[in-house]
Amino acid sequence: MSNDLKRLLEIAIKAVPEAEWVGLRKRSTEETMYFVRDGHIEQSGTGLNVGCMVEVLYKGQFGYAATSDMSLESIQSAAKKALLVAQSASPWAIYKFDTSVRPATKAQYESPRKIKSSRTAASIVPMLIDVCNTMKCSDKIVQTLAANQSGKLIYEIVTSNGAEIEQTIYYQSLIMEAIAMDGPVVQRRTDKGPWAYCYQGGIELVQPERAIQTAKKIGEEALELLSAPPCPEDTRTLVLAPDQMMLQIHESVGHPLEIDRILGDERNYAGSSFIKLSDIGTFQYGSKLMNITFDPTVPGELASYKVDEIGNPATKEFIVKDGILVRALGSLESQKRANVPGVANQRATSWNRPPIDRMANINLEPGNSTFDEIIGSIEKGVYMMANRSWSIDDYRNKFQFGCEYAKLIENGKLTKTVRDPNYRGISSNFWRNLVAVGNRDTFEFFGTPNCGKGEPNQVMYVGHGSPVCAFKDVAVFGGGK
Amino acid sequence: MRSANDYKKIFTYVAQFIENEAQPGEDIVFTMEAESSYFMRFNNAMVRQAGTVEQVRLNMIFCSNKRTWNHGLMLTGNEHDDTELLAQALNRARAEIVMLPEDPYQVIPDSNETSESVFTGKLIPEADIPRTILEPAKGMDFTGLYSQGTVCEGTMNTKGARHWFATETFLVDYSVWLPNGRGVKSSYAGTQWDDKAYKAKLEESKTIINYLTRDAVTLEPGSYRVFITPDAFTEVITFFSWNGLGEQGFHTGESAYLALKEGRESLSPLFTLTQDFSLGVEPRFNEFGELAPLKLTLIEKGKLVNTLVSSRSSKEYGTPSNAAPQGESLRSPVIAGGTLPEADALKALGTGIYVSNFHYLNWSDPQAARITGMTRFACLWVENGTIVGPIKDMRFDESIYNFLGAELEAVTKEQHLIVNSETYEGRSLGGSLIPGFLVKNFKFTL
Repeated sequence: MSNDLKRLLEIAIKAVPEAEWVGLRKRSTEETMYFVRDGHIEQSGTGLNVGCMVEVLYKGQFGYAATSDMSLESIQSAAKKALLVAQSASPWAIYKFDTSVRPATKAQYESPRKIKSSRTAASIVPMLIDVCNTMKCSDKIVQTLAANQSGKLIYEIVTSNGAEIEQTIYYQSLIMEAIAMDGPVVQRRTDKGPWAYCYQGGIELVQPERAIQTAKKIGEEALELLSAPPCPEDTRTLVLAPDQMMLQIHESVGHPLEIDRILGDERNYAGSSFIKLSDIGTFQYGSKLMNITFDPTVPGELASYKVDEIGNPATKEFIVKDGILVRALGSLESQKRANVPGVANQRATSWNRPPIDRMANINLEPGNSTFDEIIGSIEKGVYMMANRSWSIDDYRNKFQFGCEYAKLIENGKLTKTVRDPNYRGISSNFWRNLVAVGNRDTFEFFGTPNCGKGEPNQVMYVGHGSPVCAFKDVAVFGGGK
Repeated sequence: MRSANDYKKIFTYVAQFIENEAQPGEDIVFTMEAESSYFMRFNNAMVRQAGTVEQVRLNMIFCSNKRTWNHGLMLTGNEHDDTELLAQALNRARAEIVMLPEDPYQVIPDSNETSESVFTGKLIPEADIPRTILEPAKGMDFTGLYSQGTVCEGTMNTKGARHWFATETFLVDYSVWLPNGRGVKSSYAGTQWDDKAYKAKLEESKTIINYLTRDAVTLEPGSYRVFITPDAFTEVITFFSWNGLGEQGFHTGESAYLALKEGRESLSPLFTLTQDFSLGVEPRFNEFGELAPLKLTLIEKGKLVNTLVSSRSSKEYGTPSNAAPQGESLRSPVIAGGTLPEADALKALGTGIYVSNFHYLNWSDPQAARITGMTRFACLWVENGTIVGPIKDMRFDESIYNFLGAELEAVTKEQHLIVNSETYEGRSLGGSLIPGFLVKNFKFTL
């Protein structure tokens, strides 16, 4: 914790003696990106983003003022603005909060890294060029993309009631994509979806050998899809790989369980939820095989942290246990308003947006089936991999998702590759048809940095882990007009 | 709060500094985006969160020796501190750029045009905002976001281009809800706050929401006649940018309109799409300081007549640039009005669905220009031109080549200006002018 921030807090406190509580939330971000297309560097650069939000509590209402100017005068002025906002909003407060929703936590966290130093463009860019060249295994591969984005995000919080929090997230992501075209047929294949290979850690996560091996597979599978028949249109057993389960969990479990959605805060933008507060503890969300946790403690998973951005210590919690909804995703503020238990999930995209209820890592716990047992038990099914399309209603019921690549399952065996696989369903019906959950050997986790929510809008990084899963009686179909 | 003039001063000293510091052989362009914004999030006509944001973002594109480096940073507004930050950015760019390979399609900023557009507004005094917005909505389950303030954008390059755009705007982006979980969405936006106009908007919402008290109609999946309002169609506009009309996508197979270009598919002669900056809602310059034509028709009477071409695509594919931004996204879209008077929309619909809003659209098969999404808010079942009641929300999965092709029956005479309400990173500029669409058959699947 820098002394500068503590000094700024003192200035802010002095500026607003009427305030019941004052907090400073600083965020410093440095992100670097190299983007190669068809073997040529197309974009490279870095982004630095530093700023601070001053938050003030007055008569039960928080007011904030955020600024990219962290001088003494600016912070002093921001504190006064935040107080004015809180004063004028207080008569209209949706809930009268107190300082119990800003605990005086002292905590530090840093992402685990095997290699702490970084690599320069001189070594990363040639690797990305090799990745592109490897994906281009045919003239029918009409575009290849490879990109590396890395970042360091420092979160610092100091408050008038004694919180001192410093968390540093290091992350690395690697993006690979090949587009194959043959006449009117165009197919895209990526590394586990458009932006899934994204983890906390150091440059050890970007292994050239793995990248080249994966690139070879991506190129070959994009090409293979050109001559594959379309996914059949019927109802059958659907097996989803972890890289599609990520999206399934995110959209049909994570979002509907955010308590701010249930309380109606999001109704004007991202939407509400089919879940009611009274469902917590009794609602049959899925089959007995469904066990889902909120777990910001997984080393390396993208949304791991020690405390959330209002100082609530993060712990692993079951949200669905043996198919029953046992807990929802609400922060201390939402817990007070809804009078239900929650989790440590009040997070903000940056210093310029107030924290709101967010997913962190939401993971489906492994079951007992091997991959071969799952496939072997299915007479007629389809195994889909890697998300390419996502859409769900504002109550998180009716969804339609598409994948990049699929294989038919016929009489217990994986057979033909099919293209443009899609499926649709209704969230709780779908989860109640969960008939097999893979064991730890089939489990993988991924991260995605671009979940949008909130007014004003915020984008957030989340993590999702899952084994391979099977769902019976799912409507599947292909593409075409 | 900082004003547009304060931000212009920052822009000026940054431009001066960059110009002084650029070395021979270096070409530099930067874009500065700044805002002083007030946000109030409300739920059930009460304040959930409220506050202010002041920020100055700068993105510098540094070109030297056939190589390019981007550097983004936040500025403080203090000249001494900011020039230190800029000096560090230049040093970093010079150190990084030598490690990069040459870029064969590098764009060197070479425009030297200048422009300035400043729009002033009449906004609500900040201390009065909660009362002004929430008092008239008392008794309503009123949810959404109020935002107001100054938004500025400037671009300069070392070849002499200087562009400045500043505006003061407000937006009440809201929905009103019934206890049955049904809601109606609306907005009130502009530059000159008017209490009376705002209250009239709320009254309009109260009238519409009465229809939602009726029992919801459950529809079976299938094809229906639909009337798509301008608000709903705003969600479709994105699909002319994403896998859309950018030149690059036509070469890489990513464009959903490749079949249109190649004559394998067609759109209705009733459909004309133009990029038209005369709307005055966003600047004409792009991140290189290049000025786009005031008007550029992209689809004329169903035929693709132009694509959006950036300078990079121009170098790569040989098509002349029309100053599209790097991502070749569509700006200030205007869809031509037709002949159907809006007042006759229900009568013309006859029996079918009046689609007030769509939600969460995505490509389900881009090469077939097929998109899926949901109906949302006050979508109504209409029989013989009379509203029966709200529908239970339906999922659609339909190709643009169908609903803007052979199935497009009529376009309304009236067009509506829909302002961009996005606030990711900062308050967005931009908007679109859109009519309503009557479609003979539109596929619903769930």
